[in-house]
Amino acid sequence: MGKYVSLKDFDWLLLVLLLLISALGVVEIYSTTAHTRFAGAHVKQIYWILLGVSLMFLVCRYDYHDLLNHIPLIYILTLVALVALLLLGSDISGARRWIRVGGFSFQVSEGVKLAIILLLARFFSESHEERVSLPELAMVFLAVGVPGVLVAMQPDLGTALTLLPIVMVTLFLAGMRWRYFGMLLLAGLMILPVGLHFMRPYQKARIVTFMHPEQDPQKAGYQLLQSKIAVGSGQLWGKGTAQGTQTQLWFLPEPHTDFIFAAYAEEHGFLGVLFALLLYLFVLMRLVHNAKNAPDAGGMFIIGGIVAVLSFQILVNIGMVVGYAPVTGIPLPLMSYGGSSVLFVFLSMGLVNSVRVRRFVN
Amino acid sequence: MKPLPRRHLIVVPAILLAWVALVFARLVDLQVLQYDFFTRRARRQQERTVEVSPVRGMIYDRNLRPLAMSIEVESVFAVPTEIPNPESTAKLLAPVLDLDPAEVRRKLQGTRFFRWIKRKVSAREADRIRQLNLKGVYFQKESKRFYPKREMAAHVLGHVGMDDNGLAGVELRYEKSIRGRPGQLIIEKDARQRWFSRSGRPPEAGENLVLTLDENIQYIVERELDAAMEQTRALSGSVVVQDPFTGEILAMASRPTFNPNTYGETDPEAFRNMAVSAAFEPGSTLKIFTAAAVLEEGLAHPEEYIDCQMGQITLAGHTIRDHKPFSLLNVGEILQYSSDVGIIKLAMRLGDEGLHRYLRDFGFGAPTGIELPGESRGLTKPPERWSRVSIGSISMGQEIGVTPIQLVSAASAIVNGGRWFRPRIVKEQAPAGNLRKGEAGDSRRVIGEDTAAILRRMMVKVVTDGTAQEAQLARYTAAGKTGTAQKIDPATGTYSLTDYVASFVGFAPAESPVFTILIVIDSPRGEKHGGGNVAAPIFKRIAEQALAYQNVPATEPWEAAPAPSLAAADSDFPVRSPSILPSQRRGTGLAGDGLPGSVAVAASLPLARREPSTGTYNGSLGRMRPGTLVTLDSSLTVPNFLGKTVRAVVEQSLAKGLELQVVGSGVAYEQFPLPNLSLPEGRKIVVRFRVGGRTREQQPAEAEAEKNKRPAMRLPVAGSAQQDTTVPAAG
Repeated sequence: MGKYVSLKDFDWLLLVLLLLISALGVVEIYSTTAHTRFAGAHVKQIYWILLGVSLMFLVCRYDYHDLLNHIPLIYILTLVALVALLLLGSDISGARRWIRVGGFSFQVSEGVKLAIILLLARFFSESHEERVSLPELAMVFLAVGVPGVLVAMQPDLGTALTLLPIVMVTLFLAGMRWRYFGMLLLAGLMILPVGLHFMRPYQKARIVTFMHPEQDPQKAGYQLLQSKIAVGSGQLWGKGTAQGTQTQLWFLPEPHTDFIFAAYAEEHGFLGVLFALLLYLFVLMRLVHNAKNAPDAGGMFIIGGIVAVLSFQILVNIGMVVGYAPVTGIPLPLMSYGGSSVLFVFLSMGLVNSVRVRRFVN
Repeated sequence: MKPLPRRHLIVVPAILLAWVALVFARLVDLQVLQYDFFTRRARRQQERTVEVSPVRGMIYDRNLRPLAMSIEVESVFAVPTEIPNPESTAKLLAPVLDLDPAEVRRKLQGTRFFRWIKRKVSAREADRIRQLNLKGVYFQKESKRFYPKREMAAHVLGHVGMDDNGLAGVELRYEKSIRGRPGQLIIEKDARQRWFSRSGRPPEAGENLVLTLDENIQYIVERELDAAMEQTRALSGSVVVQDPFTGEILAMASRPTFNPNTYGETDPEAFRNMAVSAAFEPGSTLKIFTAAAVLEEGLAHPEEYIDCQMGQITLAGHTIRDHKPFSLLNVGEILQYSSDVGIIKLAMRLGDEGLHRYLRDFGFGAPTGIELPGESRGLTKPPERWSRVSIGSISMGQEIGVTPIQLVSAASAIVNGGRWFRPRIVKEQAPAGNLRKGEAGDSRRVIGEDTAAILRRMMVKVVTDGTAQEAQLARYTAAGKTGTAQKIDPATGTYSLTDYVASFVGFAPAESPVFTILIVIDSPRGEKHGGGNVAAPIFKRIAEQALAYQNVPATEPWEAAPAPSLAAADSDFPVRSPSILPSQRRGTGLAGDGLPGSVAVAASLPLARREPSTGTYNGSLGRMRPGTLVTLDSSLTVPNFLGKTVRAVVEQSLAKGLELQVVGSGVAYEQFPLPNLSLPEGRKIVVRFRVGGRTREQQPAEAEAEKNKRPAMRLPVAGSAQQDTTVPAAG
């Protein structure tokens, strides 16, 4: 099949958009870390981006059908990795999320997202039902539920939650009945109290805080409040790169990772934020466009899942920054500092292109 | 294979667009509509504004000798968030600062980033804390008011609160101009409560104030009043010395008094400036004004004899008796022997309206307008409300309340030839380098010059032949009028038989008056209680010394040397009064104490300290509680102060922890104990200063500065010393 694949079919526009957003991220990482112990993080981020772009081209050449064929193995390896992580993983600030390979640490949960996307794509592309049946629904929830719970136990509730939109979007694309969605919603509401019971105190606090941010401005509400102050005081034009007082004076929590968008909003203002939002919107639209043109169901479900993950992360992260969503610890794709996140985005973009360059194959 | 449900993909962009619209709306709200709120919110948590107190202006006497100055002291504050262990820090801090450790710990524990621990600490305390090298504990330089002459003129000067705000006296009255403009210190801080930058506006120093007081005369008055209070064991007392030709107050003192440096320990009653705020029934001293009115109106000839009816007169059924029966007395003799019957009969010629009008003209019943807060208008009733006995009572000084400042100003109108001058206490105000002359005293003619001259002659006779013979001066002629008013017993509402207010108002020399002096002693104890034997002798001692100080040529040269001062006899001063120096001539004592052109003295004055071991300048010496432990520092010897300026001496004593008594101003020429003697800490050192007396120790530059000094034009300007603030750099 390789001989049909041409780099001319690669989505260069998408790459340009991705690199633009990454550049904004690098500048903001520089701005937020220049005078801290994280100084130099922007350089590392550039390395990750370069590595990500290379991997993207590699993955793009690789036929996604081969990946779909190997799904059982990938899925089992993922589960093994998650269990191993829980048993042997290194503890970083109370959570076991990282696996160390050489000098680098990877977040296994980023890989879980990809595995689930592929798993669901394979599952539904092979389904012969006109509509999603109840047994299929049960199988999907079992297959996603096991790694989901394992991730939540790390604990990494944010990533575990990210799996949900993948499922929902794929189910939707696969043509599930609306009443099943209704049933899922009902089931979700019934499970919610149980889920709350298992939540850590800080996770509960985040939700309470989200409901009443001014109630406890010193502790849980602090991050949300400071984020809003940062965004609001950015005004129309922003305070300038490395000039954001909220950011530079440590008021903003985690300004180079989860709250990088707040720092960006403070320093680049309303217009800067508008620019970044449009870039993200273009990227997602471009992905939807590619999904539409996918050669087969598998390809479409892959891109659909990726759109679901990215949209969810962007939605929740920016929503959190402007005070729409609770603090969840979900990074902003491409802008937040972090190798695993960057690699996930570019790997998935590789998959998107792997689908795209094969759109005329059949 | 089923068909691909591509159309479902439309839903995804729809959701995305809806979300972008929501976020967009939110951003417009936050960044465009509410930006002001959030910007202010950001600034509020990132900045702190601390007020920096300005340096208060100096207060000088008429010859530019400093009466109140501002010095730089340090205040200790903490940044609680930087303190690793509040418990141990509090344990180290508290004993040094003499504070309760629990209290200090409570202050250190907060999440605030600025807490005063103790303000205006002594240099010694500051040094000890510096040695402890505590994290999160810092110093801020503040300005502290310091009154080098302690109790001297305390009521006129007033005092200031912890924030250097004037609370009484001219400090209060001229608060606006003396205080200056506070500066602002804007400190940026980060979320971890660390400070890392500061900016702001420096404070502007206050204006200087020159009073009409003469330090030397004030000193004489204070000393003699102290002595008199001790001798008479009176409740209270006031003395005012006025220049009769300008209305300027040369000295004003009241008892009880206080040390403005340590006013915190004072009974609030002592803050009251009796000389302007305490109205009293003057008694016979008021008779001169009744007589003045009668003579001015031509209702009696000075030589006219009045039948004093053998000391008895009946008004509307009330019989008033003289202290002694008199038959025929002329107007002068009525004053001379202070006949009540005589003055009542004269007053009746005036009538109610006439007497009242003259008393108002002499300034009674209205505030005089002296530049001091809390002035009383006295107590006068309009004639409509007089009873038929009132004219009798008022003419001899009852049923009327007057303040000492009213009485002395009224007397000055007779002394100066008939004009009433508004009494003045402020000579000049000096904003940095710029002089503003005080308002020329308002004046109005009350009686004619001839009438005034007649009255003066009558008042001379009071001293030479009448009730005030104890007011006779050794080398000068004098004149005046005594008053012995019974106090109204608050329990019965009738005149007391034991409590009197003894007063004397007089002037000297009689032919060419220099001073008008009023003495008021309230409730003297012992056999002597009258104006003649209590107040007049005080007048004598004050007048003699003040005239000698002013080098007024003796008018009675045949008399022997001046009688020794009552105060000198039992004062704790080992040497003669420094105030009467032959070298001092009126109008030459300009150079003050040779202060250079700045005011803030870089020394720490621990004024409020009670611990004697620190040997602070707290003015409590001699009043030290019995049983107080005094730590001896055997290495401490008395420094040599001779030839040094007041400020140099003050600073050096503070550094050594000595308690200092400053006498006079200018250059030190005498000290006790002598230099290099060992001295137990906490003992007082008396250093005497005089103007112009230079010694070889004096620096040439200093001498030059003194030579260049001219009155008023070279006022030391408080503004030259800018306040520095100690703020930690980013840690």
